[in-house]
Amino acid sequence: MQYLLLMYQNETAMRGLPQDRARQVHGAYTAYVDALKKAGVLVANNGLQPTSAAATVRAPAGKAMVLNGPFAETKEQLAGYFLIEVPDLDAALFWAEHNPSASHGAVEVRPVWA
Amino acid sequence: MQFLLMIYSNESRWTKMTQAEREQGVAAYSAYTEALKKAGVLAGANRLQPTSAATTVRIANGKSQVLNGPYADAKEQLGGYYMIDVPDLDAALSWAARCPGASYGAIEVRPIWAM
Repeated sequence: MQYLLLMYQNETAMRGLPQDRARQVHGAYTAYVDALKKAGVLVANNGLQPTSAAATVRAPAGKAMVLNGPFAETKEQLAGYFLIEVPDLDAALFWAEHNPSASHGAVEVRPVWA
Repeated sequence: MQFLLMIYSNESRWTKMTQAEREQGVAAYSAYTEALKKAGVLAGANRLQPTSAATTVRIANGKSQVLNGPYADAKEQLGGYYMIDVPDLDAALSWAARCPGASYGAIEVRPIWAM
């Protein structure tokens, strides 16, 4: 079963990390990606550019309106995602807990529509 | 350049729809997916189960906190996404405007970090 792990982090705080701490965080993600690959559960993953690069489009009645910024302003922002293939929710939660983002933000786990 | 198109809409809308309306909705998404494929820009897509099936995990002081529900409660909820590969933001925005979700919700367009 596929689950999407959505990583929410305070993007200002993450950008402001001192260099050695930033390197540590980067290392943690690299190790996490390796662990997912070794376990054979990684389907896809991507990091997103900050919400300052986001645009939100609505087209009621066929007319498009484009607003700069993300869909919603939140304390923490969506920074990226992992799509994983695991047997059940418990396994997905295990990988969410081991995601570095769980320690400096939150990880939302969403099952994909089968 | 890759962009993630995230579809936000009121998920209770789906449960209130008649069977015929659902079929129409699914057909609109099938046509949109087909158009993306024909244009050679589709890089991935998924529909998500409703936020009632979501779980949010945080580690605080080394202890894991697992809460039922999505990260944030909002009027509209993330229902799925398309990953597309297009030359620039303008192209991404025009695909976003054509997404069926744009007519009854919002499409957030986010560029991917190039690795």
